Amino acid sequence: MGTIAWAGRKIGGALVVLWLVATAIFIAIRLIPGDPAEAIMGGPGSQASAEALAAARAEYGLDRPLIAQYLMYLGKLATCDFGTSYSLKQPVIGIMGEVLPNTLWLALLALAAAWVLSLCFAAQAMRANRVGAWVGNIVEIIAAAVPHFWLGAVLIMFFSSMLGWLPAVDNGTTQGLVLPVLTLALPLAGFLTQLMRDSLSYAMSSQFALAARARGESRLAVFWRHGLRHAALPALGLTGWAFSSLLSGAVVVEAVFARPGLGRSLLSAVLARDIPMVTGIALFSALVYIVVMAITEGLERAIDPAGASS
Amino acid sequence: MNGQALITARNLSVSFGSTVAVKNVSFTVRAGSCLALVGESGSGKSVTARSLLGLSGGTATADALEVCGQDALSLSERSWQQIRGSSVSMILQDALMALDPLRPVGREIGDALKAHGKLPRAERQQRVIQVLESVRMPEPERRARQRSTELSGGMRQRALIAQALAGNPQVVIADEATTALDSALTALVLAQLRELKEQGRGVLMISHDLAQVAHLADDIAVMRQGEIVEAGVAAQILGNPQHEYTRQLLRAVPSGVPRFVPLSAASRPLAAPMQKDPAPASSALSANGLSKSFGKHAAVESASFEVPRGKTLGIVGESGSGKTTTARMVLGLQPPDAGTVELLGERFAPAHEPQRRKLREQMGAIYQNPLGSFDPRYSVGQLLADALSRGKSKRAAEYRVPVTELLEQVELSLGLLDRNPRELSGGQRQRLAIARALAPKPSVLVLDEPVSALDASIQATVLDLLDRIQVETGTSYLFISHDLSVIEHMSDNVAVMHQGKIIEQGATAQVFAAPQQEYTKLLLSAMPRLR
Amino acid sequence: MSRTAKILSIAFIALWALIALAPSVLAPGDPLAVNPAEAFQAPGTTHFFGTDESGRDIYTRVIHGARDSLAIGLAATALGMGLAIVLGTVAALSPRWLDEIILRVLEALYAIPSLLMALLIIAFTGPGVGPAIVAVGLSTAPGYARLVRSQIRTLKSSEMLEAATVLGRGTWLRVRNHLVPNALKPLLALVTLGIGQAVIWAAALSFLGLGTPPPAPEWGAMLSAGRTYLHLAWWMSLFPGLAIVFVAAGATLIGRALGGKARTT
Repeated sequence: MGTIAWAGRKIGGALVVLWLVATAIFIAIRLIPGDPAEAIMGGPGSQASAEALAAARAEYGLDRPLIAQYLMYLGKLATCDFGTSYSLKQPVIGIMGEVLPNTLWLALLALAAAWVLSLCFAAQAMRANRVGAWVGNIVEIIAAAVPHFWLGAVLIMFFSSMLGWLPAVDNGTTQGLVLPVLTLALPLAGFLTQLMRDSLSYAMSSQFALAARARGESRLAVFWRHGLRHAALPALGLTGWAFSSLLSGAVVVEAVFARPGLGRSLLSAVLARDIPMVTGIALFSALVYIVVMAITEGLERAIDPAGASS
Repeated sequence: MNGQALITARNLSVSFGSTVAVKNVSFTVRAGSCLALVGESGSGKSVTARSLLGLSGGTATADALEVCGQDALSLSERSWQQIRGSSVSMILQDALMALDPLRPVGREIGDALKAHGKLPRAERQQRVIQVLESVRMPEPERRARQRSTELSGGMRQRALIAQALAGNPQVVIADEATTALDSALTALVLAQLRELKEQGRGVLMISHDLAQVAHLADDIAVMRQGEIVEAGVAAQILGNPQHEYTRQLLRAVPSGVPRFVPLSAASRPLAAPMQKDPAPASSALSANGLSKSFGKHAAVESASFEVPRGKTLGIVGESGSGKTTTARMVLGLQPPDAGTVELLGERFAPAHEPQRRKLREQMGAIYQNPLGSFDPRYSVGQLLADALSRGKSKRAAEYRVPVTELLEQVELSLGLLDRNPRELSGGQRQRLAIARALAPKPSVLVLDEPVSALDASIQATVLDLLDRIQVETGTSYLFISHDLSVIEHMSDNVAVMHQGKIIEQGATAQVFAAPQQEYTKLLLSAMPRLR
Repeated sequence: MSRTAKILSIAFIALWALIALAPSVLAPGDPLAVNPAEAFQAPGTTHFFGTDESGRDIYTRVIHGARDSLAIGLAATALGMGLAIVLGTVAALSPRWLDEIILRVLEALYAIPSLLMALLIIAFTGPGVGPAIVAVGLSTAPGYARLVRSQIRTLKSSEMLEAATVLGRGTWLRVRNHLVPNALKPLLALVTLGIGQAVIWAAALSFLGLGTPPPAPEWGAMLSAGRTYLHLAWWMSLFPGLAIVFVAAGATLIGRALGGKARTT
């Protein structure tokens, strides 16, 4: 498949996914019993004023036939109009523009940290004896099973309360970023290490590694030239999933460290049942996932154009 | 015995912990000649070869081990790295696995030069192209930029040999370099190895196949269970073997052995093949104009053949020739685009599954890897009970008598009843697969590469078993293999497949003695023979 | 699975079953009993895990909290896995066009991060235990459905089923004797791995104040309360979290011993 055809297919697939997500949300709003206008304005408990409800009806075209409403909704989404957050009285797109960079930055740093950590652990595990490997295995499983909200608390307890090295609250400084990033990165590193260790030990014990040694290459050279590539590939394939789990984690981590971001905005929107805000954020994170998937697939194609590993 | 000794091993032993993999072996590899280490899996031949590069992974001890003028017993890791690739190099089995699928082959070849750091970058690239030219790689510049997965089988083998030659080594070790290759590729690799020998290099060939070794080796050492049981000049070993095990190995080579003559001394002697009434002209199985395409690729084109009752039709061809697709159409696993299959005179394919289900009991199948065809949850007894009860029960106790009969028929011990097939050896698994296929008392067995994964001596016993079953039960075989010598021994008639077509068929003796088609002649000329 | 792994797994499951079904055997106290005089006691001989801001015994609450946390995890897994098995099986066995449609829908659902999907659902339903179960169940279903689908497709085209066809077995016998039993074992591994994850997700929702409301002794809710007093009473956060890690890591170990892969959701 040529690169252009491949890119075309990716974009087409992404549009289909976004359309399906949007449609699912549209159906969900209609499924809530009672007045959809009321649902949009925070459910029956919100006691929205009559004017506010009327405004919502007008904005969403609720007095028109369902199909017209649906087309209008899609049309607005196509022009990046996610509606107005009723709890913050601002356009959703504007709020997201403010908080999204915070969260993406956090997730990217955590992803990088998780990669570095797991590469180090996986490389180290290659040299471990049986007991070492067993201990490493247990540590990975526990790391992968630790919930973010608790890990955050434990890290604060240790590094902030007891040692006083790092601030407990994200205050905008670099030190303030360390604990949130670690909290997000450690469980992911647990997952990735398990994956990389398997593929690394496969690569290092493979015939091509033996052939490389027989050509006179040192173990270290074989690790750099062959081992790393093979270890990175399956982990790279998981990046879409990893990023998505980091966004999930960010909701919790931003709450624990009182850090402004997409997660915190989402949480307060959910508590206020601010449907435009919530759907906007959900659609946006789907878009982020799709973009990340496309980037990683492009990278995979660069490392492995023949798809040898799949 | 004129060449200078490049590698000398005296009483070399290699152990892994308390397990001794190689015991006191002694040999010499000389310039311009080829020594073959022959043995079956687990004989320690690969470990021996790797210890000559310091890569055995175990502890090597010896009275003397000299590699290209250096005392290899006291070498540091750094000195070993100097030797590897530039004095001694290795060609491994299976080019697909031995070249990193993620890196261009040119880089892999260049790595051999980089490791020894002799050349600047531009010259290194030049040398890579030179080496590729020396192994007659077509379009070397373009191929150097491709990954092994993008190359054809032949080009891949050439690249594999090139990476071993880049450092211009004095000794090349070929570790099962021809195993699992089809005949054309085998011929290619053997020709390349011969060229290396003629260039004055020493070649150490590791193989399980005596017939292939016969082409090239000047000296042969036969290994079993870590020891060399017999060594000497090739003609001597092949013509006048002294050790019982060598004789056993030689006897196991099927090419040139007439039908029904046992290949293994351990096999029960056969009753004379039933020569009763050659009259029934009706065939057990016939295919008429079978065709199958996948997209634009025509896998099989208009294949027609007949398997007479009680006889064997061998289909021989290289990988990708359409053999397996043909087998799948015959077995009703893949509907043909055109053509029909008739079993015992009745239409078998294309047909509706419920209609032919009863007929299926008349045809069994044996695969190369039987383990994949067994339900992993079933024991040996359960598998057979399931086959006997037509899937209604898996309690071996209910079918004690027929299960026992089946196990005896395939010469498997009754003690294996409760074992899981995973715990069996390769030969035992194939016997179990045969027993299961025989359970419904079929008229026809379709065997797709049934012995290709087995060691020579095991292969011999399984082939003997198949012979005996045919004599005793009159079952017809459709025997598919890439291995000409197995086909020659097992088939009454043979069909040669090439690029999806049957290009030649006839009585085996006739086709093997006087092939009509160019391709068949080519195949046969590349076939390793002992007799 | 080795013998030791079997024994350890059974012991692990038995322990949690006992804790969840009869918490009073191990912790006879009342998890809700308030005693302001004993607030913020550090762990010691009378209170193994210390006490919280109202003087409630943390040990008693962790033990009694197991029932809620595990029940939510189990119910959510059952819901998600049930849905996944139906969707995955239908996709794997249906003609290509239907398979393609189901795959696209699953991909769309998978594109929204699990916790965000759960929050989205709660935004519509409002907070509570029931919505938390539905949210966690639905948000994990797409990932499992894709795994179930690929598992069944692999089995469907396996040599084992082909061999059964060649032996003349009809569709029903092939499905009953080989497909279903062989698909179940990896599913069991998947379910085990899933329970660990579901317990974490459910606790996360409670931690965010969207699941079990206080003062019920649920682990996530206890952690949420402990967060306020992190500097004052570390034990309030440590022990409920350890319980979650213990359950989730144990479930992962058992799932892996059953042959599950590291990646689940």
